[in-house]
Amino acid sequence: MRTWAPPATVLAMAGAGFVALLWLWLTGGGEVDVPWAPTLDLRLHLRLDGLAAMYALMATGVAVPVFVFAWRYLPHHLAQQGRSVREQPRFYALLGMFMVSMVGLALAQDLILLFLFWDLTAVASYLLIAYDRQDGGARRAALMALLVTAITAVALLIGTLLLYDRYATFSLPELFRVAESSTTVTVAGALIALAALAKSAQVPFHFWLGRAMVAPTPVSAYLHSAAMVAAGVLLIGRVYPLLELSPVLLDALVVAGFASMLVGGVLALSRDDLKQVLAYSTFSQYGYVVFLYGLGGESGVGAAAFYVVTHAVAKCALFLTAGAVTRATGAQRLSELGGLARAMPVVAAGSLACAATVASLPLTVGFFADELLFKAALERGWVFAAMALLIAVLTLAYMARFWTGLFLGAPRTEAGPVPGAMVAPVGVLGAICLVAGLVPAPFAAIAQDAATPSLLAAVPVEARYYLDLRAENLLALATFALGALVHAGHRAVPAAAEAVARLGERLGPERAYTAGLAALNGLSDRVHDLEVRDFRGRVTAIFLPSGVLFALAFVLTPTVGAYAVGSFSLGDLPLVLMLGFAACVAVAATRPRGHLTMVLTLGTVGFALAVVYALLGAPNVALVAVLVETIVALLFIGVLSLIPREVLRSQMRATRERRGTRFRDPAVGLVAGATVFVLVWGGLSRTGGEGDAARRLTELAPEAHADNVVTAILADLRALDTLGEITVVAVALLGVTKLLRRGRLW
Amino acid sequence: MSSVVTRVVARMLLAPILVVAIAILVKGFADVGDGFSAGVVAALGILLQYVTLGREEVERTLPVRLLPHAAFVALLGALAVALVPLSRGDPILTHSPPAGAEVTTVGKLELMTAVAFDAAVFVLVLGAVVGIVHAVARAYEEMEAT
Repeated sequence: MRTWAPPATVLAMAGAGFVALLWLWLTGGGEVDVPWAPTLDLRLHLRLDGLAAMYALMATGVAVPVFVFAWRYLPHHLAQQGRSVREQPRFYALLGMFMVSMVGLALAQDLILLFLFWDLTAVASYLLIAYDRQDGGARRAALMALLVTAITAVALLIGTLLLYDRYATFSLPELFRVAESSTTVTVAGALIALAALAKSAQVPFHFWLGRAMVAPTPVSAYLHSAAMVAAGVLLIGRVYPLLELSPVLLDALVVAGFASMLVGGVLALSRDDLKQVLAYSTFSQYGYVVFLYGLGGESGVGAAAFYVVTHAVAKCALFLTAGAVTRATGAQRLSELGGLARAMPVVAAGSLACAATVASLPLTVGFFADELLFKAALERGWVFAAMALLIAVLTLAYMARFWTGLFLGAPRTEAGPVPGAMVAPVGVLGAICLVAGLVPAPFAAIAQDAATPSLLAAVPVEARYYLDLRAENLLALATFALGALVHAGHRAVPAAAEAVARLGERLGPERAYTAGLAALNGLSDRVHDLEVRDFRGRVTAIFLPSGVLFALAFVLTPTVGAYAVGSFSLGDLPLVLMLGFAACVAVAATRPRGHLTMVLTLGTVGFALAVVYALLGAPNVALVAVLVETIVALLFIGVLSLIPREVLRSQMRATRERRGTRFRDPAVGLVAGATVFVLVWGGLSRTGGEGDAARRLTELAPEAHADNVVTAILADLRALDTLGEITVVAVALLGVTKLLRRGRLW
Repeated sequence: MSSVVTRVVARMLLAPILVVAIAILVKGFADVGDGFSAGVVAALGILLQYVTLGREEVERTLPVRLLPHAAFVALLGALAVALVPLSRGDPILTHSPPAGAEVTTVGKLELMTAVAFDAAVFVLVLGAVVGIVHAVARAYEEMEAT
């Protein structure tokens, strides 16, 4: 395959998807609703409402600059690690898969469908974060992201099922119609919100996002600005009518959002690695959104939607800036970089616009985001406004630190040339931020539309400059002043932030994650050891639990009349004799002299039982029993011939001489035998419905064109079982060839 | 190596054993037997050749090397029998002609997809056992050689 084909394909996909979605949105949306599994109430229900349009447009729109960037980034990245360019298609296929599942997630109107896309994004992100698979850190980070988001996804599923149990529907529009404020809805809402918070890397799940920064830059830029982490707030926006029913959940969102903003802001101030700064900034920014959803009301939800879309554009460009800078200089720490404005003017200008957007400076679209934040916070009370102010100051400080650290001051490193395709996306996204700062109407329109499904009513989102001394403007001015102050005192502030960050590392949730993982690993190892240490252990692992279950069944079932003693006629004598013979041989099999004898004795037991089947009038079963015993005994002997004779002998000796087994093993055998005897006796005593199934099958046999009921069962009535069994035979053949012949079939 | 008498007798027995196997398969729907038993009987016949004549001679004179591959083809065939009804909207493994309908018969054998399924079981069991026997024999030879 040509090297340009894979990126061109996904790029075309993203571009075409964006245009198609935009056109659909502008013409009033679209809807697909087909039954998927009607017996389970599952529907493939996709609808392009405002919320879906915003996230789907983000997922495809942001994808375009990212894929353009990746086109030039990836070959260099692979070459640096000594990997073949043949690994490119995999990268683009995964990005494409991620994009599609993200769009699906945005459009899904059915909770199960939503869950499906939710997990698909988690799987795709796992594979993308671990794209540098030779790097153990990347693999661990990917596993962490997967575990945190997929385990909490189970909470989403449980919440879904709780709602289904109560309202008998998975469909969200349906649920919004019937759901009322109740404990079930609160619990289900809390579970769904938990999954959303984990996905958006909110406190206390934030640690995975920082680790995930080992991923290649395009992955970080895409997944961790506009897509993967946005999925969490998308879910909150999607199920918002349910969350709104319980004020306590909204309050919890305020707390979680504020904690995330604060922790993220502090951590972003303390980090040195470029992508880490951006990661914690992202986590803090999504805290804003969660905070706004928690504040609720028209202004809160509208502001949340506006925030998401401005942040996606700006943060993506900042990640790409980090990638371009690292490409040019080879450095990725703030302390090693500086003064790049002259060497990389386009990147510097583009990222300045984007950093200003994140920091909410006027003339950029971000300014309106903060205005809306302040407005929503003021509506709730001055405490909330103070919270918002604090966070806005932190954001301004770390963004200033990021941009000035990169582009101002004395140059510390040589900057090499960077391909135009890696510079242009930053410039374009920066230009978008500036243009939208002057003409915010499109952003406001999409945010307004996106807030509608969350509130089930149209919400006005107004983004314009008011040149007066209203409270929002005063708060913004205070932000700029305090932010400048914090930035000016930047020697002390990062040091303090660093100390907090270190404390968090020592006591934080990541430690709990690591300890939990280690404990689970240990438990798994212990169970594994217990089960497979030796053959005896393996057998015990199966028989002991089943024995306990049987014993329980004994205790719990009534025994009156359960054990009938049937009559005995002289005609049964051969049967009884044969059974006695089988029993004797079985006992003899426990005192083997060698492996060969053991195989032959066991075979004899089988043959004796075959005679019993024949006497009972089951010639088919008898035939199969004889054949199976024969072939198994022969193959067994063949396999024994592969084991050196000394090994066999010493094994046999060890078994005979093992201490402590003289009484224990026979005792275990006796107990097991007696239990099975009583069980079978009880089973055979119940003559009631016993023949029913058998008789029904026998009656069906002539219908199925067969006089032989056994064959009719095997090939027709229970043919699915047979299909499974012959698959097992085929797999066994593969296993044998793999073990003995390294996979050669012949 | 076995005596001449054993070798000759084993050689002579192969054809009758295979005939019996086919009989068990074909008559399975009317009389005792089914594809699985037929496959094991046929495999036992081949195994007898391996034991008496040795691997190399058997594999030189009989086309046994096709059998393990045939096993997987048979599995695909069984899957086809299982899945084709889905395309017509029937449940998986719906045999045709359906229950009670008229069937073309050849002697006592009635031609229907259930018989094809049983035949697939036959080939798969035969192929799997021969494949395992071959693998064990080769592994034994390699062990002797070292």
